[in-house]
Amino acid sequence: MTDAVRALNLTKIYGTGSATVTALDNVSLTIARGTVAALLGPSGSGKSTLIKALGFVSPADKGEVFFEGRSVVKDGVPLEDLSRLRRRHLGFVFQKANLTSFLSARENVEIACEFGGKTDGRRRARELLRYLDVGNREDSYPEMLSGGEQQRVAIARALANEPSLILADEPTAALDSVRSRTVMELFRTVAHERGAAVLVVTHDHRALDVFDVLYEMEDGRIRPAQPA
Amino acid sequence: MNLAIRDVRRHLARFVGTAAGVGLLLSVVIAMQGIYAGMVDDATILTRAMRADVWIVQRETRGPFAESSRLDPSVEARAAAVPGVRSARPYTYQLIQREHRGAVMRIALVGLGWPDDSGRSLPLVRGRQLAQPHGEMIADASMGLGIGETFVLAGEPYRVVGLTRNALTSGGDSVAFLTAADTQLVAFDQPSEATVLERQRVLERLRRTEIGRSQPSLEDLPTDPRWRAPALASPPVAAVLLEVDPHRLAEVRETLRRWGDVTAYTQEEEEALLLGGVVQRARMQIGLFTIILTLTAAVIVMMVMYNLTLEKTHDLAVLKLMGAPRSRLLGMILQQAWLLGLIGYAVAFAISEFAFPLFPRRVLITPAISLMAPVATMLVVTLASLLGLSQVMRIDPARALEG
Repeated sequence: MTDAVRALNLTKIYGTGSATVTALDNVSLTIARGTVAALLGPSGSGKSTLIKALGFVSPADKGEVFFEGRSVVKDGVPLEDLSRLRRRHLGFVFQKANLTSFLSARENVEIACEFGGKTDGRRRARELLRYLDVGNREDSYPEMLSGGEQQRVAIARALANEPSLILADEPTAALDSVRSRTVMELFRTVAHERGAAVLVVTHDHRALDVFDVLYEMEDGRIRPAQPA
Repeated sequence: MNLAIRDVRRHLARFVGTAAGVGLLLSVVIAMQGIYAGMVDDATILTRAMRADVWIVQRETRGPFAESSRLDPSVEARAAAVPGVRSARPYTYQLIQREHRGAVMRIALVGLGWPDDSGRSLPLVRGRQLAQPHGEMIADASMGLGIGETFVLAGEPYRVVGLTRNALTSGGDSVAFLTAADTQLVAFDQPSEATVLERQRVLERLRRTEIGRSQPSLEDLPTDPRWRAPALASPPVAAVLLEVDPHRLAEVRETLRRWGDVTAYTQEEEEALLLGGVVQRARMQIGLFTIILTLTAAVIVMMVMYNLTLEKTHDLAVLKLMGAPRSRLLGMILQQAWLLGLIGYAVAFAISEFAFPLFPRRVLITPAISLMAPVATMLVVTLASLLGLSQVMRIDPARALEG
């Protein structure tokens, strides 16, 4: 399996002088395509900072991020058009579904296809919604969907451009245990069937058996974790 | 996929309501510009309608519109005899206020130099010119009178024989045209009660004098109509209008310059007097008010656009995180601003078509205003969207990750 993303010695410090907080402390991590990985850890341990660094939203101060083998960010300096990279190769799923409120379920997926340069966005959006079992709600606006349905649409949107890497930040925090497990299993299916690398930040220890790899963060440092 | 349309579609009622509000604001701006243009046009329409080459007025006055002008009626005959003058006719002008059908009307009475001038130069929309020296009137349609209807002035009925449109004074009052002799009758009309009281005062003064007491027959004089004869001398006119051979205009003016009792203005000078004097303050007032109103509208549209953008901050952050090209997001805000401008202008246009004619003052939408209003609207909404656009540029995609 090829590496989707590889982070090397990432360091990120917030604040200046004596009031500094080290959010990432020499973090190195590799996620291969077809792998679903979980990132565990208490609040403030640096999980979201790592997601932002790996998603090319807020680069680390030091260290290097490789994407599909190429160096993309080095010591906080982008070496490629990060916006373009995000829209073509990355998918995001958030704690809340964060669907665009003025677009229907189908349009939320379709617009992601459009950003990624896909010409058959509508067909693909319908296909993905059916794949995620919300095909019957394609014309509904986000406010008309249940939390679980919204999250499925968000996953469909994340898959729109057949991304190499999907980053999910506590995607099941707002769901009950049954729906949480269903969503986690969906990530595994997506990783295994579609060959994407999936990194899921989660506090939910009940569905850890779904993941191929577990990481744990504490005080900005990362280490492999074992299932409980 | 057009994001601007999708967003508007989702909040259609609110967007249209906002655009209608912008439209009302624009209609006020357009109305102010129309009133300004109407005022300038009204100020000159009356002088232009008279088609005179030279206006002779009382010496060192700027009459007859800017101030009172009284000319001896003999000036007409004297002016007609000046070489180069083709015709001379008297002109009177006075403002009156009368009640008609229960409504108070302010009317400017303009006297035409019958029989040379029967109103042939007036822009009649219905009816005919004056055909007799007394008892006929050409009225402006804004007075609400119909052809054949009578209007009582100085106790005598005047029949409306012709109608003009937009013959108004610089103050927006309707103009009625009578023969100069008729306007003088109105101007110097004295009610019978006033005549009786005047006679009574003369008698009382007479009885207090020695000559009155010694010659009682003198008391018959105040009741004798012939006694007032000296007071019935030809009343003055406001101006004398000349039609001049175009090649001899300078010569005529030079001749008139030497007359001690008059001042002569060309048509252009008379218009300049009106615009520079009579309506200058009102023009400046309305002009400044229009500028302030335009700036106010721009600021309000700017705040509306900024708030519309602010409401979408989270959605825009998510779209940015997904890698939406900056041009798509900026285009979305700009398109919404243009849509707001278009709907707003359509509302303002509809108001101008249906409501402006009901305004008490004439609102003149000139071709320049018709052309400039939509262009200025689009320019204003484009500039107003800058604040929203800068907000889009500032949105950090990381905000989408913050839940």
